[in-house]
Amino acid sequence: MKPEQAAKLLHAYVDGELDPSASIELEACLAGDPALRAASERLRAMSAAIREKADYHAAPERLAARLLESLPDERKPRAPAALQRRWLAAAGVFAMLAAVVFALLQLAGDRRDEERLIQELLSTHGRAVLAGRMIDIASADRHTVKPWLSARLPFSPPVVDLAQEGFPLAGGRLDYAAGRPVAVLLYKRREHAIEAFIWPGARGAARLSRDGLNFESFSRDGMTYWLVSDLDPRELDQFARLLGKSP
Amino acid sequence: MLPHLGAAFNLARWLTRNDHDAEDVLQEAMMRAYRYFDSLRGEARPWLLAIVRNACFTWLRSNRPAEIAASLEDEKEQASEAEGPEALTARDVDRRLLNEAISALPAQFREALVLRELEDLSYKDIARITDVPIGTVMSRLARARRLLGESMRVITRASRGEVHE
Repeated sequence: MKPEQAAKLLHAYVDGELDPSASIELEACLAGDPALRAASERLRAMSAAIREKADYHAAPERLAARLLESLPDERKPRAPAALQRRWLAAAGVFAMLAAVVFALLQLAGDRRDEERLIQELLSTHGRAVLAGRMIDIASADRHTVKPWLSARLPFSPPVVDLAQEGFPLAGGRLDYAAGRPVAVLLYKRREHAIEAFIWPGARGAARLSRDGLNFESFSRDGMTYWLVSDLDPRELDQFARLLGKSP
Repeated sequence: MLPHLGAAFNLARWLTRNDHDAEDVLQEAMMRAYRYFDSLRGEARPWLLAIVRNACFTWLRSNRPAEIAASLEDEKEQASEAEGPEALTARDVDRRLLNEAISALPAQFREALVLRELEDLSYKDIARITDVPIGTVMSRLARARRLLGESMRVITRASRGEVHE
């Protein structure tokens, strides 16, 4: 690789956009060219400075409501969880029937149920974002979040701190999914948020994308985990592994 | 799609440079996004950001025409990027000055920088959003970083000078 070409590709290299063979060639140039090496260090430092200090302008709270108001009706998010709540109330009368359906819901591992659950998680996620209610209890301390959730749920969700691994805990909230109250933990990764839906029960693992969001699920110690995030699938998987094997 | 409202607002805010105009532009962009929702292929975030970006440039053309013209001219000039940018380290950089310097970049370069560094998007996604070839994304980023480095050096010196005098 000629020096002019190396200098030209430096940005792509620092941005992680060079293919492996070009990267290797460029690294060979870097090894033999202190000026080029210094330029690449300056680029990395600038990128880090921008990421750390440039403003990320948060959308004003009223904006989501204003946008939602101006949308045509058929596009407004439906509220399956609310419907389901009403359905559950009715099912209280037919307790036996509800128990059977509930058991089926719990056991069902086929795609249709999974798809329904995903749609439900999507709606729940969308509603939380729209209502600005991602977090009920904002704290990075698992000893604050866990008791708060445990006091309000019929189970005690495991809450782990992954700040050391670059996924700081932001808080938790109560929500309703899969026909039951669930715990939702919020984790941060740079400007991305990860929602971890947790409830008792076990089901098969899954990994998929829908509407620009990535999903990953697994079971551990009798709890089902569903992760929902706009983080890329690779990093979400890394997070899932950390969550799955944490003590 | 509303989960990407944060990214949409951040981009609109950086391109229009104020909250009020960003909200107005976004409202129009979102209406458009909902109307053409069926045309969504692949990932939602780049698709939505492309719509927001186009709405911003339409707004800039009618409200800040000088800015667009200036930045296109800049692009024709072919300076060497071989030197790389000025030194800039996260620890020493003044937050306010950095934001001002990014704000002062011509729109095309500001947009490339915001999409890359703040939205963490790939060259491919940025190319799709800004509707230019990947090579142009690369040269715009290089130019954006060089311009930013230069203006940081100038305004940092100017601000220090004021303090000492």
